[in-house]
Amino acid sequence: MVTEITIPKLGLTMEEAKLVKWSFDMGRTVAAKQMVALIETDKVSFEIVSPVKGLVYPVVPAGTMVLVAQIIGYIATDEAELAILQKEHPVDAGVIVEQSEDKPGGKLDKTAPAATDTAGSKVGERIIASPLARRMAKDHDLDLAKIPGTGPGGRIVEADIQKILAAPTQAAPAPISKAPAPEESEFALTVAEEIPIQGIRKVIFQNMHLSLNTQAQLTLQTEVSAKGMQDFRNRINNILDPDETKISYNAIMIKAVALALRQHPRVNSSVDGEMIKVWKQIHVGAAMDVGKGLIVPKIRNADTKSIMTIAKEMGQLVDKAKQNTLSLDELQGGTFTITNLGAWGIDHFTPIVNFPESAILGLGRIVEKPWVKNSEVVVEPRIALSLTFDHRIIDGAPGAMFLKTLTRMIEEPLLML
Amino acid sequence: MKERIISASAALAEALHEEMTRDKSIFIIGEDLAVHEGIFGQFKGLPKSFPGRIIDAPISESAIAGVGLGSALTGMRPIVDMHFSDFVTCCMDELCNQAAKIRYMSGGQVKVPMVLWCPDGAGLRAAAQHSQSLEAWFVHTPGLKVVVPSEPVDVKGLIKSALRDDNPVMFFQHKQLFAKKGPVPEEPYLIPLGQAAVKREGKDVSLLCYGSSYYLCQAAADVLADLNIEAEIVDLRTLKPLDMETVAQSIRKTNRAVVVHEACLTGGYGAELAARIQEELFDYLDAPIKRVAARDVPIPFSPGLEDYCLPKVSDVVAAVQAVTYK
Repeated sequence: MVTEITIPKLGLTMEEAKLVKWSFDMGRTVAAKQMVALIETDKVSFEIVSPVKGLVYPVVPAGTMVLVAQIIGYIATDEAELAILQKEHPVDAGVIVEQSEDKPGGKLDKTAPAATDTAGSKVGERIIASPLARRMAKDHDLDLAKIPGTGPGGRIVEADIQKILAAPTQAAPAPISKAPAPEESEFALTVAEEIPIQGIRKVIFQNMHLSLNTQAQLTLQTEVSAKGMQDFRNRINNILDPDETKISYNAIMIKAVALALRQHPRVNSSVDGEMIKVWKQIHVGAAMDVGKGLIVPKIRNADTKSIMTIAKEMGQLVDKAKQNTLSLDELQGGTFTITNLGAWGIDHFTPIVNFPESAILGLGRIVEKPWVKNSEVVVEPRIALSLTFDHRIIDGAPGAMFLKTLTRMIEEPLLML
Repeated sequence: MKERIISASAALAEALHEEMTRDKSIFIIGEDLAVHEGIFGQFKGLPKSFPGRIIDAPISESAIAGVGLGSALTGMRPIVDMHFSDFVTCCMDELCNQAAKIRYMSGGQVKVPMVLWCPDGAGLRAAAQHSQSLEAWFVHTPGLKVVVPSEPVDVKGLIKSALRDDNPVMFFQHKQLFAKKGPVPEEPYLIPLGQAAVKREGKDVSLLCYGSSYYLCQAAADVLADLNIEAEIVDLRTLKPLDMETVAQSIRKTNRAVVVHEACLTGGYGAELAARIQEELFDYLDAPIKRVAARDVPIPFSPGLEDYCLPKVSDVVAAVQAVTYK
């Protein structure tokens, strides 16, 4: 029996994804639960695994935008079924599979067609642009194929051209210069690598810009003793069974932040039009670097969960992030974010709010330092905290009070009880 | 120039006084004119000032239009009062087959300096046979000129020009606009046929309108201003001949056009205008041309349904938002 390979719905709002690559050529054998294709949404990369063992029959070429529930290929049980598939869904086998770039031993396959190139998606299709936009593009030697359209159905309209003209130095939609190229100077820069801005990177681009462009961000920094937290963590981890998840500093911090948010609900809010919306739920995200860029999986209702539960969920999210199997729902809808640069020896920094949230806490490393206590210099583990918040919503003093509540719990974790 | 605030009816009566005093060949023929002085008060004072030149006729539009045509051919300048524009159906042959064509068919030997005066439009709960806006029929008839004024100042200036024109002119005045007041200069003046007016300047969209839709567009432009959209209002005033140059100037500036009329959508003047615009101004358009018009149904008698069928301020606003992508 032929098995269909369809695009899964990874989140409530997901409608489409990019089929990044096929793992197998046509007719190759895939094992059950082995990755057969990689897709990418705006937020997440996801490996589609084959539910059965069989022969892969890709239909949709890599690089194509595909819809949720769309059939992108089939798994045939034997050669006979494969032959039937070839008759029923004729495709040019050579065109479809793009060799994975990061596959060990796999060479970069430059013979792969241009189908994977995003700009190429418009090749052969008519570009939808208003007559005025067309004339303006012509007058200014702009290539319409490189200009994103914001009108209905992606129509390129006057405003889109104006945007390009207002920022002529922006890289993507560079004018096609008809003039001869300027003479190459010996100091001219040469490109070592061109990295397309897409997928997670594109989302980071947009969100960072949106965040700093929209909010009035202020960062407060302080430093607290990590002694209490260290002792607390060691005590718990010492009594855990070997098969139980050890609790991390991040798990303790998530819990502490969630409880502090409960006391300072204004920090747990977003701006929506003319309204500040204070959220009932407290969903704390933890920023992680998974190599391609930052992603922020969430611990839902962190204020209601025990540290042990949080630690366990964090562990699962990290595993999923590493395996690229995080769902969109696990990445969306946070109300506060924690980011930790301690592992890289950073103390204070100025984190950028994870838009549309209103605040983010940056954690530094835990490091032993001389500290004056009761007129005595003592050696104490210290941790730096950097709280960035949207100063439009949260005034300086309330922001500082939130930080104060938090630092007290870090210094004395018993306050979390 | 000194101005007063007067109604459209008063502006019309004043224009007719001036013209009838100036030109003895002008007379008015229609139903119940002398006694009523016009059902909208538009001929106030005229029967007394010009005895014998305001002629009541039997109820036969065919006969009335025929008299108008015949007298025009013999050198008079008649104003033929249709009472309600809907009744033109009873004299279509006189108008469209005779008056519109005879100057051409006679090789210019005769001319027809006649004004067909037609109160039109809906909103008076007058039902399907007394609420139409029929201007498009006559725009589609070569040989006729078509004028649809909005403000009192236009009514006066345009009726005077219509009376001095040597061709048959269909002069449509919306029934709900007779009582509308506005500034009118005290000094005599003319507004040439075929000259549109930019009555509000804006950079984001051109609202092309005439007659009652002018007021609709003014109200919509106020709403749009709050949305940070600056609408330019072009009151066409004359539909034929059309002042395409003023329309083009506006669209070259705004790059977007919405045509608004009270007549029903299909085959309406908006269709003609949209066609001209796309043909002549294609490269200036940033969005498809939108039309706001009445629904394609006979105007209902029920007040609720009548209001539902007629174009509203919100329809104009929505159309503008669509073409400005806002």
